[in-house]
Amino acid sequence: MILAAAMSVEAVSGAEDTIARLRRNDPDALASVIARYQHRLYRYLLRLVREPAAADDLFQQTWLRVMERIGRYDALRNFESWLFSVAHNLAVDAWRHKHGESLDEADDGGEAPAARLRTEEPDALERLLDFERGAALAACIHELPAIHREVLTLRFEEDMKLEEIAEVAGIPLSTVKSRLRRALDGLRAAMQSRRPGRKA
Amino acid sequence: MNEHESMRELLALAACGALDAQEQRRLEEHVRECAECRREMEILAAYSDGLRRMPQPAVPANLVERTRARLAQQQAQAADRRWDAMMLGALALFAWTVGLTGWFVARIFTGGALVIMGANLLRFGTWSVVSTILVWLTAAVAALALGRRRRELRSVL
Repeated sequence: MILAAAMSVEAVSGAEDTIARLRRNDPDALASVIARYQHRLYRYLLRLVREPAAADDLFQQTWLRVMERIGRYDALRNFESWLFSVAHNLAVDAWRHKHGESLDEADDGGEAPAARLRTEEPDALERLLDFERGAALAACIHELPAIHREVLTLRFEEDMKLEEIAEVAGIPLSTVKSRLRRALDGLRAAMQSRRPGRKA
Repeated sequence: MNEHESMRELLALAACGALDAQEQRRLEEHVRECAECRREMEILAAYSDGLRRMPQPAVPANLVERTRARLAQQQAQAADRRWDAMMLGALALFAWTVGLTGWFVARIFTGGALVIMGANLLRFGTWSVVSTILVWLTAAVAALALGRRRRELRSVL
């Protein structure tokens, strides 16, 4: 317990030191932070925007914005959540610029995906286990609305708490929960439609 | 909404690990008795597990290096803008100092009158206009030359 507390204090003080070095434009600190978050940030952006070229550009823009705003970053906030919220906002702007609508308008209306599910789902578990599950899920996630892809990747891949997801996406906790529920429903519907021999 | 329906609502959130302790306990008690919800819970747990094991995309080659290069470029541009603003401030100060000092010195040496082509250059208004034009022209040319030199040096490095 004491060791955990001591490690936690050490981690906080290390993070504060890194932030202070970023504020001084220390290139080594910057390189280390970019390297630390590169896989997670790129994965998040790719899940969100789906296009590698767009994710690549947004990744770079995110770091440009981070360095522009690091002076205003509140060190009491979780850096990770702040970083992902910067990326989220840039992705939303890019989406709006490209599609002429906000990311949020792309869903949360109409028929619930669950309603498209058949009431019976025979052998669903076995099918899921037998099918190359991870790859199939990744393909099905592509079919979901961006806001559902986002909550799924933040929860299951980034392992963020619901409160952190709310902070990143700038939405209330209740909305995070409803999006997660609808996202899972949508994923199941997409998986069902991919069943061999069944038309989507 | 009966107990079974309200528990079904919680199943997806349970798969996301988003229930509080009380909700989790209620759900666990329910699924012990309800085969349908238990089955549903297993399916959702499989999805949850699958989502954590999805293939991971590879970060594009040189993305970190390209990002660092873009950041360095942005920081250099910001430094240039700061330098230009500082230079402009210094030039303004220099121009007004030279102009005023020159005016005082010229008045001392000429007794307050320096007539050229019928105009007294040492009248404050006239002196201000002439000295401002001359000093600013010189300073602007110097600033441009220095700025260009600085950019050339950076591109070489």
